[in-house]
Amino acid sequence: MPRAGIVGGGHTTWGARSATYKDMIQEAGKATFEAVPGLGPGDVEGLFVGSVQPERYAFQSHVAPMVAELVGVDVDAMIARTELACASGQAALRYAWLAIAAGELDVALVLGVEKMNLPREYQGEAQAGMTNVLDREFDGVNGLNAPPYFAMVAQRHMHEYGTTREQLAMVAAKNKSHAAHNEFAQFQEEVSVDDVVDSFELSPPLCLYDCSGITDGAAGLLLVSEEKAAEIEAEATWIAGSGQACFASNSINNLPSMSAWPQATTAAESAYEQAGIDDPVEDLDVAEVHDCFSISEIVEYEDLGWVEKGEGGQFVEDGRSQLDGDIGVNPRGGLLGCGHPLGATGVSQAIEVHDQIHGNVPSARQVPDAETGLIHNLSGSAAVHSVMVMEGGRP
Amino acid sequence: MSDDRDTVDLPATIRLPRLLDFYELQTADHTRIHEFYEALQDGQLTTTECRDCGDLQFPPRVLCPECHSEDLAWTDLPHEGDLFAFSAMRAGAPLGMEDDVPFVTGIVDLGPVKLSARIDGAEYDDLAIGDPVALKIVDVDGPVDHERVFYRFEPR
Repeated sequence: MPRAGIVGGGHTTWGARSATYKDMIQEAGKATFEAVPGLGPGDVEGLFVGSVQPERYAFQSHVAPMVAELVGVDVDAMIARTELACASGQAALRYAWLAIAAGELDVALVLGVEKMNLPREYQGEAQAGMTNVLDREFDGVNGLNAPPYFAMVAQRHMHEYGTTREQLAMVAAKNKSHAAHNEFAQFQEEVSVDDVVDSFELSPPLCLYDCSGITDGAAGLLLVSEEKAAEIEAEATWIAGSGQACFASNSINNLPSMSAWPQATTAAESAYEQAGIDDPVEDLDVAEVHDCFSISEIVEYEDLGWVEKGEGGQFVEDGRSQLDGDIGVNPRGGLLGCGHPLGATGVSQAIEVHDQIHGNVPSARQVPDAETGLIHNLSGSAAVHSVMVMEGGRP
Repeated sequence: MSDDRDTVDLPATIRLPRLLDFYELQTADHTRIHEFYEALQDGQLTTTECRDCGDLQFPPRVLCPECHSEDLAWTDLPHEGDLFAFSAMRAGAPLGMEDDVPFVTGIVDLGPVKLSARIDGAEYDDLAIGDPVALKIVDVDGPVDHERVFYRFEPR
């Protein structure tokens, strides 16, 4: 199968922006091409846009051609928007990878964007868009948007495995503190375990600092064939394996578990096998995983196969996910520190792994000797898990 | 160009838009699972079960997702169960629920199914996993042309 590699990408500033959906698409497009001097908008053949709810947040659909127009890209091979809730950006990257691997195109622009902050008096309308991700008729109607849902995952994990409130806070403190060294992140302040536990108890047992933000932002990257990477003499980060899984379930009664995500295990095993990874803890150096809430990262340590089930809390407590630990997890700052503009998150994670592997990040968040990386996103009620393994090297 | 500009008048308030109403339209004109809502009007929580492969669904379906049989039967669900998990909504509620904050929402284990539900009549700090809860039915008042109901649970 022809290889495809990331050759660079860029971000807008993330946060509560005084900018529209369209403004941020332009900013991210410019930043993306500035990061890759060998390519311009005229080189793009395929465009893949990750965006979850522009219909609700920006009152706009058919957004892929809007991105083409705003960034000045003539597409002659493939154009689509991907919607997979919180994994929409990673889904866009996966489709671009498959299109290149299939020989359909050589240069893809993958751009993720979300505008989530509405004027304060309209936040209820914005939140309505976060409460229809599970079955709206039977789950959303009960107020099950993200914080109470993931609070129940935390409650069950603590109940079944003895995970502690402090261990949850260790994840949040780690990731938010990484974001202090990330100039595009929404939250750029060092945070302690005590700060997390003392923050507003939004959906108990989760506190405000256990939760990712409501974020406006965009990110874009360029994915190219091996032939094109050689032609432009670019340093690339190759997609070595990619897996996804969903077990015929989205609503509460049909999910396999409230404390385990076996879909993540299936997706990871598929990606590891393709990438030739036998022991992920030994072979992976850096990982950007979906810490939409602190509990998520703990469940992911376990179900991505890094530690025995139930020992995820101990994994963070022992420092194994610190930058200099077994795997440097969420050096970018994660969703907890960077914020989570839904469609942009997976794209941003992939850019971070690329920049980590090629030493393009500030030293304060550099994972030592990063050569092999992973991105992971869950979506919605964690019904779907997407895993991608990446490695460095010249074509 | 005239100095007198015309004005575009937008309404300051509107009815709740149909697609921002979390509750489904419940009659036979709108949904093929109207019998679920009709039974709930009469005080009974039900769901569908496949006569061919025995699969019990929740939410109720119009055909069996397991074997694609259309031969489904309506079956009663228990009205009492245990609290499997719960949390609270203390901020960030969606439109239509903002006046209810704070409220408790959870997952109730009825035996054959686990369903999500609002938990009325208790604060978060009063509850524990495994607490016994019982069905209550609420009327849903809103800008639609028929009477609607929904289920919740409360401690027993």
